[in-house]
Amino acid sequence: MDDQLILMGVIGKPHGVRGQVRVNVFAEDPEVLAAHTLTDRKGRQFALAWAHENVAWLSEVTQAGQRRISDRDEAAALTNVELFIPRSALPEAAEEEFYLADLIGLRARDEAGREIGRVGNVLDFGAGASLELTPGGRLIPFTKACVPVVNVAEGYVVINPPLEVEARDE
Amino acid sequence: MSRSVWKGPFVDGYLLGKAEASRASGRNEIIKIWSRRSTILPQFVGLTFGVYNGRKFLPVQVNENMVGHKFGEFSPTRTFPGHAADKKAKRG
Repeated sequence: MDDQLILMGVIGKPHGVRGQVRVNVFAEDPEVLAAHTLTDRKGRQFALAWAHENVAWLSEVTQAGQRRISDRDEAAALTNVELFIPRSALPEAAEEEFYLADLIGLRARDEAGREIGRVGNVLDFGAGASLELTPGGRLIPFTKACVPVVNVAEGYVVINPPLEVEARDE
Repeated sequence: MSRSVWKGPFVDGYLLGKAEASRASGRNEIIKIWSRRSTILPQFVGLTFGVYNGRKFLPVQVNENMVGHKFGEFSPTRTFPGHAADKKAKRG
């Protein structure tokens, strides 16, 4: 789990001629990107310093030290590069809180221990989180009644599916 | 122009009965509804509704802050899933 890389943003197009780049941030707090050394898919490491909103200076981190990207062409070559941080760099979640990155992919079991699928996605539209199970796409409210056990270390959740009753005009 | 106060909030009448029955049963259940237009009333707090978005029933766990809003506000019909990144989900 500690080796898992979490996608935190993507480098966008260059901004100006001095090597600044736009960054599409997926993190809840953009400062997280500036606080960690970022890694791309090829293993290159970058340090990021925000210049202003969504625009940042990038420095390539090597064993020799940091080298700031100060040329537009060099910045343009980094367009669409994805920036990751290791899962272990994220702070501990509070009680009853779980990182989506931890939940997605967990095996879903029923209360008898039979496997019924996997957690494909976690949805939250302002009315509580729901786990979307694959295959089938069934949505389960992320509550203690419906998901009594979340065991991230062993990679499973226990699902107690709620009864469904229909309410329609008759 | 907002709705006249004297009319009270709009809610499809059959929801009230279903909500009452669900609360009385005390079971772990989702009330599947198509009525996106209904206002969320204080009687619905603590219940879970599955609100149809044209494709599936999205679970809506009603809390005090939702009272006065419509069910449809919590069941978007067009969605972009976004990226997980460092986002967290709280178990209710």
